[in-house]
Amino acid sequence: MAALVPRGAPRPNSNSNNPSQPPPPNYNPNSNPNSLANNLSNLNLNRPPSMPNSGPRPSPFGQPPNFPSSAPLPGVPSGSPPFSRPGPPPGALSRPAVPPSGSPQYTLPPNVAPVRPTGTPIGQPSPFGYRAPPGINAPSTSGAPPPGAFPFSGLPSGPVVSAAPPGIRPSSPSPPLTTGAVLPHSSASSGFVSNGPPAFTSGALPGGPRFPPASSASQPPVGPPQTMGFAGATPQAPSMRSLLGNPAIVAPPGTPLQPTSPFSAPPQGVPLPPGSYGPPTWPRHPGQVAPPPPIPGSVQPPRMFGMTPQPLPNQSMTAIPALGQTGAPVSGTSKIDPNQIPRPIPSSSPMLYETLQGNQANPPPPATSDYIVRDTGNCSPRYMRCTISQIPCTADLLTTSGMQLALLVQPLALPHPSEEPIQVVDFGESGPVRCSRCKGYINPFMKFIDQGRQFICNLCGYTDETPRDYHCNLGPDGKRRDANERPELCRGTVEFVATKEYMVRDPMPAVYFFLIDVSMNAIQTGATAAACSAISQVISDLPEGPQTMVGVATFDSTIHFYNLKRALQQPSMLVIPDVQDVYTPLQTDVVVQLSECRQHLELLLEIIPTTFQNNRTAESAFGAAVQAAFLAIKSSGGKVLVFQSVLPSIGLGSLSAREAEGRTNISAGEKEAHKLLQPADKTLKTMAIEFAEFQVCVDVFITTQTYVDIASISVVPRTTGGQVYYYYPFSAVSDSAKLYNDLRWNVTRPQGFEAVMRVRCSQGIQVQEYHGNFCKRTPTDVDLPGIDCDKTIMVTLKHDDKLPDGSECAFQCALLYTTVYGQRRIRLTTLSLPCTSMLSNLFRSADLDTQFACFLKEAAHKIPSSPLLQVREQVTNLCISVLLSYRKFCATVTSSGQLILPEALKLLPLYTLALMKSTGLRSDGRIDDRSIWINYVSYLSTPLAIPLVYPRMVAIHNLSPKDEDESLVPPVIPLSSEHVNDDGIYLLENGEDCLIYIGNSVDSNILQQLFGISSPNEIPTQFVLQQYDNPLSQKLNDVVNEIRRQRCSYLRLKLCKKGDPSGALFFSYLVEDKSPSGPSYVEFLVHVHREIQMKMSSS
Amino acid sequence: MDFIELEAIEGLRWSWNSWPASKPECSALIVPLSVMCTPLMQSSELPILTYDPLLCSQCGAVLNPYARVDYTSRIWYCPFCYAKNPFPRSYSGIGETNLPAELFPTYSTVEYAPGRKIPSPRANPGGPSLNSKHNWANGLSSTSLASMASFSSSSLSSLGGDLRGLGPAFVFVVDACTAEEELRALKNELLLVVEQLPENALVGLITFDSMVRVHDLGFSECLRVVLLHGDRELSSEQTQQFLGVTHIKQQYLGKAPVIQKQGFLLPVSECEFNITTTIEEIHSSVQAMLGHRPQRCTGTAILAALGLLEGCLINTGSRIMVFTSGPATRGPGIVVDTDFRNAIRNHRDLVNGHAPYYSKSSSFYQRVSQRLSDASIVLDVFALSLDQVGAAELKGPVESSGGFMMLGESFESSQFRKCVRHIFNRDEEGNLKMYFDATIEIVTTKDVKICGALGPCVSLQRKNNLVSKNEVGEGGTYMWKLGTLTSKTCFAFFFQVSDEQKVQPGSAFSIQFITRYRYGNMGIRKRVTTAARRWVGSHSPEIAAGFDQEAAASVMARLAINRAEKCQARDVIRWLDDGLVSFASKFGDYVQEDPSSFRLSSNFSLYPQFMYYLRRSQFIDVFNSTPDETAFFRLMLNREGVVGSLIMIQPTLLEYSFDGPPIPVLLDVRSISPDVILLFDSYFHVVIHYGSKIAQWKKLGYDKDPNHENLRKLLEAPELDAEQLVAGRIPAPKIIKCDQHGSQARFLLAKLNPSVTHNSTYTNGSDIIFTDDLSLQVFIDHLQGLAVQS
Repeated sequence: MAALVPRGAPRPNSNSNNPSQPPPPNYNPNSNPNSLANNLSNLNLNRPPSMPNSGPRPSPFGQPPNFPSSAPLPGVPSGSPPFSRPGPPPGALSRPAVPPSGSPQYTLPPNVAPVRPTGTPIGQPSPFGYRAPPGINAPSTSGAPPPGAFPFSGLPSGPVVSAAPPGIRPSSPSPPLTTGAVLPHSSASSGFVSNGPPAFTSGALPGGPRFPPASSASQPPVGPPQTMGFAGATPQAPSMRSLLGNPAIVAPPGTPLQPTSPFSAPPQGVPLPPGSYGPPTWPRHPGQVAPPPPIPGSVQPPRMFGMTPQPLPNQSMTAIPALGQTGAPVSGTSKIDPNQIPRPIPSSSPMLYETLQGNQANPPPPATSDYIVRDTGNCSPRYMRCTISQIPCTADLLTTSGMQLALLVQPLALPHPSEEPIQVVDFGESGPVRCSRCKGYINPFMKFIDQGRQFICNLCGYTDETPRDYHCNLGPDGKRRDANERPELCRGTVEFVATKEYMVRDPMPAVYFFLIDVSMNAIQTGATAAACSAISQVISDLPEGPQTMVGVATFDSTIHFYNLKRALQQPSMLVIPDVQDVYTPLQTDVVVQLSECRQHLELLLEIIPTTFQNNRTAESAFGAAVQAAFLAIKSSGGKVLVFQSVLPSIGLGSLSAREAEGRTNISAGEKEAHKLLQPADKTLKTMAIEFAEFQVCVDVFITTQTYVDIASISVVPRTTGGQVYYYYPFSAVSDSAKLYNDLRWNVTRPQGFEAVMRVRCSQGIQVQEYHGNFCKRTPTDVDLPGIDCDKTIMVTLKHDDKLPDGSECAFQCALLYTTVYGQRRIRLTTLSLPCTSMLSNLFRSADLDTQFACFLKEAAHKIPSSPLLQVREQVTNLCISVLLSYRKFCATVTSSGQLILPEALKLLPLYTLALMKSTGLRSDGRIDDRSIWINYVSYLSTPLAIPLVYPRMVAIHNLSPKDEDESLVPPVIPLSSEHVNDDGIYLLENGEDCLIYIGNSVDSNILQQLFGISSPNEIPTQFVLQQYDNPLSQKLNDVVNEIRRQRCSYLRLKLCKKGDPSGALFFSYLVEDKSPSGPSYVEFLVHVHREIQMKMSSS
Repeated sequence: MDFIELEAIEGLRWSWNSWPASKPECSALIVPLSVMCTPLMQSSELPILTYDPLLCSQCGAVLNPYARVDYTSRIWYCPFCYAKNPFPRSYSGIGETNLPAELFPTYSTVEYAPGRKIPSPRANPGGPSLNSKHNWANGLSSTSLASMASFSSSSLSSLGGDLRGLGPAFVFVVDACTAEEELRALKNELLLVVEQLPENALVGLITFDSMVRVHDLGFSECLRVVLLHGDRELSSEQTQQFLGVTHIKQQYLGKAPVIQKQGFLLPVSECEFNITTTIEEIHSSVQAMLGHRPQRCTGTAILAALGLLEGCLINTGSRIMVFTSGPATRGPGIVVDTDFRNAIRNHRDLVNGHAPYYSKSSSFYQRVSQRLSDASIVLDVFALSLDQVGAAELKGPVESSGGFMMLGESFESSQFRKCVRHIFNRDEEGNLKMYFDATIEIVTTKDVKICGALGPCVSLQRKNNLVSKNEVGEGGTYMWKLGTLTSKTCFAFFFQVSDEQKVQPGSAFSIQFITRYRYGNMGIRKRVTTAARRWVGSHSPEIAAGFDQEAAASVMARLAINRAEKCQARDVIRWLDDGLVSFASKFGDYVQEDPSSFRLSSNFSLYPQFMYYLRRSQFIDVFNSTPDETAFFRLMLNREGVVGSLIMIQPTLLEYSFDGPPIPVLLDVRSISPDVILLFDSYFHVVIHYGSKIAQWKKLGYDKDPNHENLRKLLEAPELDAEQLVAGRIPAPKIIKCDQHGSQARFLLAKLNPSVTHNSTYTNGSDIIFTDDLSLQVFIDHLQGLAVQS
């Protein structure tokens, strides 16, 4: 159970690994020297400076530390060193004094900061001296007194904390003083190597020498620790930053950089120059670390520390605004003032958020807002968030509330660039400390007792012996003295280096297999050429290293592999004609090390479109081709990226044009409409399960102009942890750039392979079900042949017992995966929430974004299996029942004529309405559009859930240069046609598509400036955003690029105008309007209110 | 009359030149009534007629010198069925003084090459021969007819529209598991072949290892290969579908057949560059897993080639040439699995049934044979390997298609090069010397029944009243199919006297062989040989006088190996012995119970000796041979003419000495002498054996000393002769030079009659052979003893 080892993995020893059987303990990893070596090398991070560089990656920084997944990279080492040392050194004992000082800092409110400064100067000098080693060294000046001081163990907060860190250090250092003398000699290095944990002790001290500078930076601290921290520190104390390890580095590359990476949308279909596109750019910019500093300061001055501010709706516990209050008096429809009804108020600037405040879980900010997390014990809400931030004690209470209890887990989510990277902990050969009963991993909420000799598992309540070399005395506060130095004891999210026990085989290499449709249609629409050019450009973005393998195949009615071996003069094509019973050429022929085949690969991608130029084969053997690609990489596992353009019509898993059949047979079509949203048969599903078993992840890029039965095709990516990209109707002109960017993001985003995930809960709660893109072969775990930062898994929970009031309920998500560089890691995310038996608490702590994401996912899940009307009804009822419960049990008596909404959920009706009008729940959409919507929702992350149904609309005809600190994106406009004027141009985006609506009487001057056309009639159907030499155009490009960055998506741009189908499309997104698919917002509120009134009176 | 002279005219050798008139008497002859026929024997006097033959309307026989001609009424009487046939108008000028060549008494063999001037297959379909409803035209195999019809209409158009002069098709099937150096030699040879092929010849290339790669030669952007799975036994239709060479049947909706352009089989002129690059790009894919043989799917590769040729409707003659360097280890036709712990089957395994794949693979290849024959495709196998490659399994299709088999050790050997070059020899007009798609038809006088044939042919199962129920070899027909044949290919035909009619002793009977084949330029030719012999009465001395012991021995040898395929060697030997004893007692001259009185007349005298050497030859005694070698030897014997067969059975031994010109000596260990050079020829090996003295002189370099000119000449003579022997044979025999007592001398010693062994009392200083085999003397003694018993 605990074993995160992938089950069915094909390797020989897999049998030893019985699924139900516990874990690793007895599992004898077939020793793989390499992996061991890997572990060691990780350990070595602490070693002398040279180490980091030894990694494959030349520049340690190159690798964006932000990406956890990438952590393994050589780059990481450099960054992680400071953190990695989990163990408190034995030496720790000696410093009794420390704990006190240490702990306080944490708890200290920001203001405390000022204090620190003083601390700093103190002892540093000598004590630290000894800590030469840690990664820090590199940057540090000369040997002895390594600067690294701060970074060190726990000061996780690094950048984020801003001022805090420096201050803190001081205090901590002081303890060392005592021991100081002794330690120095140890000169750590050797010690570390052998055993991660112990060594670290020393780490703490490092800061010594540096202090001076640091302190200077921090001095100002006093007042503005927060802001200051950032701004100040970064600029002038680069050195100090570097000490911090990743933090420093991280920050820079981050988003903030936009300036450097403007999307300068590629003029025409042309592929973007690398780096031009948002998220992906990060990795690219590592080199520019230096510049970064400015950003943090300027762009996102953290406004608030912790949760102070009022703005957050969630926060306000008491406020129970009635509809009337907020705006809409209910009684008479007419009375409702549309301008007063609840609407989302986007927060424009990032706020700081601490996950744990005063030992209490801090309710997370809205997922859609911009926030910077400081992990103080609970995990960042990016990785895991719960629908309610307090857990109801009983199942009854939950039922009464009408809300659901579920977690949204996004284990590899992208952190905010200013956040501290996840620390990597290496426990050496013994592996991470775990509860021997439930196999839960050590986390900050495990309680140590008996002088630290035992610990109580916060998940199952079992009392365990502390492993001898993990023992540490407790301080007066009952916490381990080293708690703050060990990331696993003070961070909600950490990453462990997996030991042999977690591997059934050597970690797999990164294998990419590209599969391109070359059937007649694909060729003629330019899809093949677009795919080839995208791949060709992306090749350079694939992870470097000898481990990376690549293969290419094309297919029409047969499958064509390419032998890319260097020995050949030119690539040669190997045709597999049998598409019923597929086989592959020798793997060694067709899957080749990237470093060995670059030239052939480039040549090949160049000739593919011309080679098939005159292809008259209309058939496409998608299923067979995927199967063949699978066979080709079966032995290692890997990613298959398929570019498909037509309905798979032949061979294994071929499909029929069901949609058309449904249309001709109307009676059956009507009755069973949703059947078309289900896979046509089981063939693809069976195949997909086999793929998953062998760790093959399939992504499908559908570049089509016709029906391709996505409902059936998507089964494959869905089961293997992949995703479907949909370009309909495909246009070589406008979609090529997006195709390239999507592909690029696909391979460069943080991701992992051969992953296994499990969520554990405290006693009393258990996991009911997982939803997302994965394969489930055992009841407890989900297998993810591929997992990346965009994938979210919904975990529904249920009570199996009553929880004691006042206790805490913990959730722990463990993801065992292999990084693209072949390191095996365990990403551990722990969330501990208070339990409550008060209904009002539940409403107060309800997390609207999360709840709505769950709503959305559940609705999407039901669409293929139930008639649409039923689903819509369920959605409405869910909304009503929540509000009813609130009205009934929590609202102080008010006139029944008022609709009363809980503050936290006041937008629920709006979103519900929007959901009902969304593509998936409309009956008028194309089958494929609905399928893709369902598919998209299945892995959709929380921050993107709301925009999907309630898009963002902004006006772009009046863009004006903004002040530096203002958000790039103009203020949003409610989604109502009242706000759309005929002389305006509006941009509406939902994270995937971006519609630009051009009013009929727009100033032609503006049109000329923005699009190079003089009247709305000249609007091209295939639109490519270009940057013209005028401020307006530049501004528009900036806005679009900013949106792309925020959404991690390139967006399909489309111009719309009135009186055109495109205009109708645009207006269909204006969910507050009355439309064939649903009532207007006001009407809906009235409807909801009426329902509630009816139910109130009937009960 | 000398049988050999007669052979030079007729191309026939008769075991008996005079046949007893009654059936029981015939069976008492022991050696069956048979004819060794070399249909395309080269002859300087062969008249070539540029018109179509005149056929008997009743039996289909071709007009020949034995026909009675009534010049006045312009009628000829068929000598076989006695039917009356009028001469057509073209023969209007016929008269006693104006005979067409086929009626010349001296021309027992003529060749018809109608329409020679337009050497295109197209010339034929409209020709008179097909229009006439005569038997011989019907005699074409139906597939050939069909193919010709569809060829002109469809397949030609698919091949680039060049209707004129499409040559034969060659599909090279190359084993990519061959080591790189070996492969290089092979590639060079193939390149040479391609370079020298006539422009209109079609070529295809298939390589295989664990999978089959069919190379697309019409694809210019890059190398394109269709990969077929090595384990699957694909049907013809599947193969064609996978290769995209399917042709939709014409009746389908009455539309013109749509043939996709294919690039797997193209005229050399169109794809020379591509095939050259493709051949150059063949790389060895040996991935030796420790302890495992490379994965080869030879059977599947052959199937693919076959499917391709079938799909392209090339029925004008085509060859699948397999170049392999090891046994098939997967797929249909598997010989042994990859694990080296499992040795390749040997004869003992075959006998004991310990060869798990043998029978399955053999039956697979049997099916292949059928398909090859149906499509007139020839299968050639070049097995260059130190180990067996499964020739035993492959023998079936190679033999029945008339294909070529070569077992050697290395592609780098000159033997291999010679073979390949020989095959692709061209005549003066630049046509390949290959004869494809042949059939042989026999017409006889009605008292003679046709039993069957032994040789590289397949029975077409055409029956008429001349076909005997008693089948020998490929029987039950009067017409046989041959994938290909050479001017040396020889068939043994077996006959029987009809048991119905009583024939008049002294009267004549005749047999006509009609061989229809496609000449190197793809034109169809027909060679007609008519021979007549006499019936004789019982106990007539003419019977004995007409006995051709050499022909008889080679016929018996074919029967023996035919039998050996099904029975154990022991039984075959017993059968031979029994026959010989009966034969001796019938034709010997002796006093009952007195062995010493036994005599045989001169034209029987060598026969027992032939039998002696036959029973200890590698054909029967498989000890020391692998199944592959045995298969190869038998295959060669089964197509060799009388002279060649005899050399195989009883090798020749020439002695070169200072005493005079070379003389043939006894194939006996006593022929070895220190001061002579022996030239030994067993057909498969040519050994030059230097006596110990000569060897020493040679070592001392006397031959280079001008004073010992004669030694040099002596040394030269056998070498020149050996070269000559080797020149005519394909595959070229291995020339082995050895000194007396040298290890290589074993090739010689193994064949010599062990008249002196380690058991002999008197050795007279001769060499001895360590063996317990019985010597010729002992054998003859026993034979005499048994023959004279009553």
